[in-house]
Amino acid sequence: MQHLLDTLASGIHDAKNQLFIAETLVAASEAKHQIDLGEARYAIETAAERLSRTLAAYRLMRHGAHLSIVPAIISDLCAEVALSQQKHLATAGITLKVDCQVLDEWPLDRDLMTDMLNNAVQNAGRFARQNVALSAFCEDGGVVFRVDDDGPGFEQLPPQMSTGLLVAERLAQLHIRHERPGHLRLSNDSALGGARFELWIP
Amino acid sequence: MADYSKKRFLVIDDQLRAREALRAIAQTVGAFAVEFGASYPDAIYRIRNNVPDVILCDYMLGDGRSGQQLLEELRRFNLLPDETIFMMVTGEQSYEQVVSAVELVPDDYIIKPFSPDKLLLRLDRIVEKKNFFAEFYREKRRQEYAEALLVLQAKLNSEAGRAYRFEILRLTAETQMAHGQAKAAEATYRGILENYNFPWARAGIARSLQKQSRLTEARQEIDKVVANTPHYFDAFDLKASICMEQGEPEEAQKVLDAVARKTPRNYVRKRLLAEAASLSGDTETARATLADVIANDSMPGAVSAADRLALARNHVTANDPISAEKLLLTLRDSEIQNMDLSEQASYVSLLAICMPEKGKSRFYGLRPAMQAGELTSTAQLDAMRAALALADHKLADQQCEHLMSSADTKKLFGTMRTLYARHGRETDFRDLQRQVALKRIQHEQTATAS
Repeated sequence: MQHLLDTLASGIHDAKNQLFIAETLVAASEAKHQIDLGEARYAIETAAERLSRTLAAYRLMRHGAHLSIVPAIISDLCAEVALSQQKHLATAGITLKVDCQVLDEWPLDRDLMTDMLNNAVQNAGRFARQNVALSAFCEDGGVVFRVDDDGPGFEQLPPQMSTGLLVAERLAQLHIRHERPGHLRLSNDSALGGARFELWIP
Repeated sequence: MADYSKKRFLVIDDQLRAREALRAIAQTVGAFAVEFGASYPDAIYRIRNNVPDVILCDYMLGDGRSGQQLLEELRRFNLLPDETIFMMVTGEQSYEQVVSAVELVPDDYIIKPFSPDKLLLRLDRIVEKKNFFAEFYREKRRQEYAEALLVLQAKLNSEAGRAYRFEILRLTAETQMAHGQAKAAEATYRGILENYNFPWARAGIARSLQKQSRLTEARQEIDKVVANTPHYFDAFDLKASICMEQGEPEEAQKVLDAVARKTPRNYVRKRLLAEAASLSGDTETARATLADVIANDSMPGAVSAADRLALARNHVTANDPISAEKLLLTLRDSEIQNMDLSEQASYVSLLAICMPEKGKSRFYGLRPAMQAGELTSTAQLDAMRAALALADHKLADQQCEHLMSSADTKKLFGTMRTLYARHGRETDFRDLQRQVALKRIQHEQTATAS
C-alpha cells in the first residue's frame, strides 16, 4: 500500500513541477506583454490543487492517517485563501469578504487547512449569488473557520456528504488537542442567507 | 510590501528549467539580482562567498542531497545569518511532515505550483517576522544570551508577539540551552507541550534532560519522539547520543545505522555512527565510516584534524599501526600547531603507540601538560591508551581515575576495561574502580554531613 502511495505521490510531484513551469511561463508573459492571464494561472493552480487534494484525501481516509501540525498564523492563512480565490470569484461577479479575529498562532495542518478552505470557498462561490464570506474567530477554546454564502442553502440537512465534505470532516477530527477532536458543522444559518460551512479546530 | 529590487536572490535547483522558472518568478516580485546555484556544492560556494538576502531552494537537489540537508549544513557552519531569508520550494506535499517535526526549519516553504503573488505574500510575512525578531538576532549574534532572553520575554508579553508565541518560546528554550540553563529550557519546552504535543518540543525536553545528566528520563522522552515521528531523523541522533552516554553503544549504533542508510550524505550523522561503532567494538564499521567521511564530506573545512585522529584511533584499536602512522603523518605541522591541548594530547598519544621510537619523546614532552591540563574525555582516553602501551602506569591510572569520575564514565567504561585487560591489568582496573567508588561515597557523606 505504501509503495502504491509513493508511486502516486511521485507522479503527482512530477506533474506539479510541470504545472509550475507552465504557470511561470504564463506569469512571465503577463509581465512582458502587460496583460492579465490570471484566470489561466488560476486554472493551472486549481489543477495542481486537485491532484494534491486527491492524494491528500486518499491519505486522510486511510486508517492511521496523521497530520503535520505546525504553528500557523490564522490571518495569514485566510489572506492566502483570499489571494487564491478573490480574483476568480470576482470574474463571476461574486465578492469574497474576509474577517479574521484570531490573533494567536494556532497549531494546525497549515497546508491541508488552506486547501480545505480553498475548496469550501470554491464550493460556496458555485452556489452564491453575489457574496461569500470567510471568517475566523475563537470559540470554546478552539478556532472556528466559517464560510457563508448567499445562495439557496443546502437542499437537505444533514446534506449529502461529497468527497470534499468527508475530507473536511476527517481533517477536523484528526485535529486533536487535550483529547478534544475538531468537528464540522453544516447548516443553513448563514448570515448572508445561504449555506454555512463551519470547522471547529481545538 | 517590502522592496525586493535591492535584495540579492539565490535560486538553488539542480534542474535548469526549474531554476529559470524560479528566477522568472523572483523577477516578477521585483528581484533584480538573481544568482543560480546549480548544485549542492555550488550553492555552498556561492553562499560562503557572498551571503544572499533571499534563498529560494528546491527541496530535491539530486545526487542524494536535499534542501533540508543544505539548510542544516549552512547552520552547522554558521554560514546563514538569521536575517537571510531561506525559503524551501517543493512539489512534495510530504515536506510538511519534515517541517512539522524538525527543530531546524526554513523560514517558510512553498508548494509548487505557486503564483508570484503568493511568493510575494510569503516573503512579506517573513520580512515582517525578521523585523519582529531583529533585536533578538543582534543579541544572539553577540552571544549576549541574558539580553537575548530579556528581549524574547518582552516580545512574548507584547500584543504583536501573540502571532509568534510558539516561535518565541522555541527561541527562548534554544537560547536557554545555549546559555547553559538546561533546567529552565526544560521548563520552557514543557510549557510548549502543554499547548501542543510538538515532536521538536519533546525532543527539546530530552536534550535538556540529557544536559542535566538525567539520562533515563531523557531516554524515555526521546523514545516517544522516535516511535511517533519516524521521519524526524535528528531525534534518532539524539537518542543515539543518549544511548552512548548510558553505556549502550550497541543500541546507539543500531539506531544510527538505520537512519544513516536513509541519509547517506549526512556526514555529521556518520561521525556519530563511527563513534558508536568504535565504542561498541565494531572497529571495522568505525574505520569504514570515518574513511567515507574523510573522503566525501565536501564542505570546505568540514574534515578536521579530529576526524583524522578518530580514524587513526580506530586503526590503532584494529591493531593496524601502519595505517594509523600513515594517516597521522598526513597531518601538517601547521595543523598540529593549531590543535588545542586535547587534540595535541591525542596526536602524540596515538603517535607514541604506532611508532614508539618517533612518538615517545613527543609524548613525554607533553606529559606534564597532560597531567595538569583539562583534557577532553577522548584525549584522556588516548593518553591512557598510550600510557598503558608504554607501561607508564602512573599516567594511565591517573587518566583512568579522571575518566571514572567524569560524566562520561558510563560511555567509556567498556573501552577502558578492554584496554586495561589488553595489557593484563584487569585487577588494577577493578582496584581503581573501587577507589573511585569509595572516594565518591566519602564525598557524598561529607556533603550530607555539612
